[in-house]
Amino acid sequence: MSLTRLAIKSLLLRPARTLLTIVSVAASVAVLFSLLSFNSGYQEGLQKQMQQMGVHLMVVPIGCPYEAASLVLEGGEIENYLNESVAEEIAGMEGVAIAAPSLMHAIVRPEDGRTDIYLGVDEKHLELKNWWRLNDGEKPGPGLLSEDDAVLLGWDAALIEKREAIGERIWVPEIESEFSVTGILEPTGTQDDGFFYVPLRTAQEQFGLEGKITAVQVRLTDPSMAAEVADALDARFAGVEIIRMEELLGSMTALMDSARALIFAIVAVVIAISGVGVLNTMLMSVFERTREIGVLRATGAGRLHIFSLVWTETLALTVIGGVTGLGLAAVAARGVEAVIKRFVPMAPQEAMTRFDPHAALICVLAILGVGLVAGIYPSLRAAQIRTIEALRSE
Amino acid sequence: MAIRNLWRSYERGSETVHALAEFDLTVQPGEMVGIVGRSGSGKTTLLNQIGCLDRPTTGQVIIAGTDVTALPERELVAFRRDHIGFIFQLFYLLPTLSVAENVGMPMLFARAHDRERVRAICERVGLADQMTALPGSLDGGDMQRVAIARALVNDPALLLADEPTGRLERQARDEVLDIFDDLRADGLAIVMATHDLEQAARCGRVIELRDGRRLEHAYEDSWPKAHCAT
Ligand SMILES: Nc1ncnc2c1ncn2[C@@H]1O[C@H](COP(=O)(O)OP(=O)(O)OP(=O)(O)O)[C@@H](O)[C@H]1O
Ligand SMILES: [Mg+2]
Repeated sequence: MSLTRLAIKSLLLRPARTLLTIVSVAASVAVLFSLLSFNSGYQEGLQKQMQQMGVHLMVVPIGCPYEAASLVLEGGEIENYLNESVAEEIAGMEGVAIAAPSLMHAIVRPEDGRTDIYLGVDEKHLELKNWWRLNDGEKPGPGLLSEDDAVLLGWDAALIEKREAIGERIWVPEIESEFSVTGILEPTGTQDDGFFYVPLRTAQEQFGLEGKITAVQVRLTDPSMAAEVADALDARFAGVEIIRMEELLGSMTALMDSARALIFAIVAVVIAISGVGVLNTMLMSVFERTREIGVLRATGAGRLHIFSLVWTETLALTVIGGVTGLGLAAVAARGVEAVIKRFVPMAPQEAMTRFDPHAALICVLAILGVGLVAGIYPSLRAAQIRTIEALRSE
Repeated sequence: MAIRNLWRSYERGSETVHALAEFDLTVQPGEMVGIVGRSGSGKTTLLNQIGCLDRPTTGQVIIAGTDVTALPERELVAFRRDHIGFIFQLFYLLPTLSVAENVGMPMLFARAHDRERVRAICERVGLADQMTALPGSLDGGDMQRVAIARALVNDPALLLADEPTGRLERQARDEVLDIFDDLRADGLAIVMATHDLEQAARCGRVIELRDGRRLEHAYEDSWPKAHCAT
């Protein structure tokens, strides 16, 4: 027998109420944990994506830069085009290491529930994405896009197409053309995985966009010069938008931050409500058990014992609820993630919510805090109960 | 145990009610003193003062040489736990705990849990076979045995019983009093409040209370004969 055991027994005495309280605590912890781990996963994913890009600037036709950028990153179709000469001019500018043109075109097949994004690229693109690897471990060489009907598949694109082997042929009825798979890329964890890479020339011909491109991705010799080069580009070309990727990352984070502030306000309210719920449960229990507390006092318990007993009960409630909530959240994470991905722009492709021990720790601390605070008042009330009056009460 | 000029007054509206007034009493080890009197005469109030559950308005309560009225709260709790056992008419057992756990409760608060002691005390009051039972499954007599065992587990010098048999059948009542006799023979001092004159007859000495005051009876020590005769 210990005080803890006594506390647990008291909780079991009213199983329905105890369960309800635990469920409410669990729910709020689950929400808190999901949001926390989503957030850290999201930022990590975003960061990784940005780093991997090795792309410092992006030159696109005029339009809302963020819309355009996320179109490029998330896929879709861009209405305006640039002339491909722009890419060559940029390549010749000071501070530019690589300027890779690309032409993006989407083939929508609503009946299959899929949109295939074809990206016309040349060897500069492979140079730019120097972290790409084929699924046999080799670095993709320019030879992969030398044939007109070549198609290099991103990992996800290959999965969707159910292609595994080099040389397999893909028939695209919309443009009445056939492509031959020259390679399949290893997953990169970014949007790149979803694309069908074809030679730029082929894309321009097939989609009837000779001489056009939709974006120039630029790597600089010195990334810290991004602002200067962007200004120079701006001065030189009319009708283009220059997107600095670090800025884009910044505004995505800012956007996320404000969304997060709102989310955390909601979480704070949810937690406060569950804290008040716990407080209420315990207060009710203390009033109902006035006589029992009197008995404990009469059999040798001091005020401190009673205080600890009720406090232990409160903590037990919140800790059990908290752990249940963490478990629930971990299990439900996948589902929650799918929902969140739908609503958050530029969601990284990878799993964003993994079991994050840091977030779990924060949750445990938060719920402990709630338990400790919510327990104080009922425990004080219990400790203040006067023995003889309690014994007399019915 | 000695009580000197004890008063306990309550403010009821504008008037002051003396639940206990000018009360003096001395109880020796091995003595069983009965407290009788009508409802509201102050029996429970008296036991609460002796048992350190309540503090007197004025006066002294001295138990085993210690003036408990002068002890600060924390020490008082420990003193009560170590020196005084309490039994109530309504048993006041915790329904979710087993007999052994109920009995061991005071040890829990004294941080000195001792299974052997619990077993020994249960055996002593005749509960050896029911230690794992829940109080709800016991009859009244056995419940009161549990309460007695609980009161005794810390080996007190003084046992206070507030109408301990008020809820019991005749046979169970006699059994409880047999246990009391047995304890008294071992040197425990017992103070028992009761309505029941027949029970009072089993006490060595009987004090009658009326409106909080002790009635002086010439036959205090011979109460049994005087009352059982009528
Ligand atoms: N907390 C209190 N406030 C006001 N008056 C009180 C309080 N406690 C007891 N009294 C009064 O003190 C008197 C003595 O009460 P007490 O409970 O000691 O009597 P009792 O002899 O034990 O009665 P019973 O036989 O019914 O148990 C009563 O008049 C009661 O109303
Ligand atoms: Mg009474």
